[in-house]
Amino acid sequence: MIRLLALFPFIFTMLASLGAAWQVGAQEYGGGPIVFIKPVRAVIFEHRVHLGKNFNCQSCHPEIFAKKAGQVEEKEDFTMAAFRQGKYCGRCHDGATAFSIDTDCTWCHIGVQGHKHLEEYELGIK
Amino acid sequence: MKSTFSDRVGTFNNGEKITREERRRFLCLGLKITGVLLGGSLLSLVPVEKAQSELLGASVIGTFPYQPHYAMLIYNDRCIDCERCLDACAQTNNVPSYGYRITILNRKKNIATATKMIREFLPVICNQCNRPPCVRVCPTKATFKDKTNGIVLINESLCIGCKACMTACPYNARYYDRNSESVDKCDFCFRRRLQNGVPKPACVEVCPADAMLFGDLSDQNGDLYRKLHAPQQTILVLRPESGSMPNVFYLSGLHGGSRMGIPE
Repeated sequence: MIRLLALFPFIFTMLASLGAAWQVGAQEYGGGPIVFIKPVRAVIFEHRVHLGKNFNCQSCHPEIFAKKAGQVEEKEDFTMAAFRQGKYCGRCHDGATAFSIDTDCTWCHIGVQGHKHLEEYELGIK
Repeated sequence: MKSTFSDRVGTFNNGEKITREERRRFLCLGLKITGVLLGGSLLSLVPVEKAQSELLGASVIGTFPYQPHYAMLIYNDRCIDCERCLDACAQTNNVPSYGYRITILNRKKNIATATKMIREFLPVICNQCNRPPCVRVCPTKATFKDKTNGIVLINESLCIGCKACMTACPYNARYYDRNSESVDKCDFCFRRRLQNGVPKPACVEVCPADAMLFGDLSDQNGDLYRKLHAPQQTILVLRPESGSMPNVFYLSGLHGGSRMGIPE
């Protein structure tokens, strides 16, 4: 019993370090999907899909997108028309680096029903 | 020949000497008249091939009997389920919260190249069928096909709310409106917009992805007519087996060979 008690601080530190490591991992992957609801509901962005394809944080942050999630939504020109001119997502989604924004709409546009499903089952009810 | 005729008469009169061939011929005649051999439809006295083609509406495919003949082409892979059409429709036609004139069906789809699941959307509205099953079943003739433009309309004052048309509709495009105590459905915004000279339904106007194309099929130089009759593409309709001959067509840009080609 005493031996077990002596082990306790050790286990505690192990758990704490594990937690810290997990948090670092979460930061690295941006922590879950980002869902944009403006100008149309809803568009999903997932760090886990984009990272590890010769991109690092500096590829997008802070030049194309501000580091705060969802901040770009407030901008007036966060539209498909601006993407066509190579802004925001259009920087890579031009048909050469990644698929063109004129194709595969539903890869990102998950729709109202997709957003509801995501809120219910994956993000947790707010 | 003469003798056989008198023989037959004789056999019928006696009622005992009917040969097997005679009986078989007689039964065959009866079956033919009642239509058992003619594809099962009762009392069909027409040849089988014609009866089937009539059932599927093949004799009228490619003809557009109304003037103007309103129809819609939906690029179903452009739909992103933003549901702006639903909002615009509800606003234009006073659709209650429990009702719907547009349904957007969705399903999940696996992509072979990625581990990601994506969705596929399919907007469904009233197909304004050329042979509408709802009109056929209506006991009071409250729902009818407009004689000039072919839009299926509802006379609210005649509707008794029996919901037979809701059951008959292959597209589930009708709902019961508790306020007007009648069934309501999409009419291509005829009462609220087309009638008053507005060229497009509300849903078509607000769609940000140009997923819907509305037009007049009787106009052979029209955009819709040319898009529908362009070669090398597959135009689909929903539930063709119901024989209702819908006027809403679906074109899948991605799988039709060419990419979407959304205008700049």
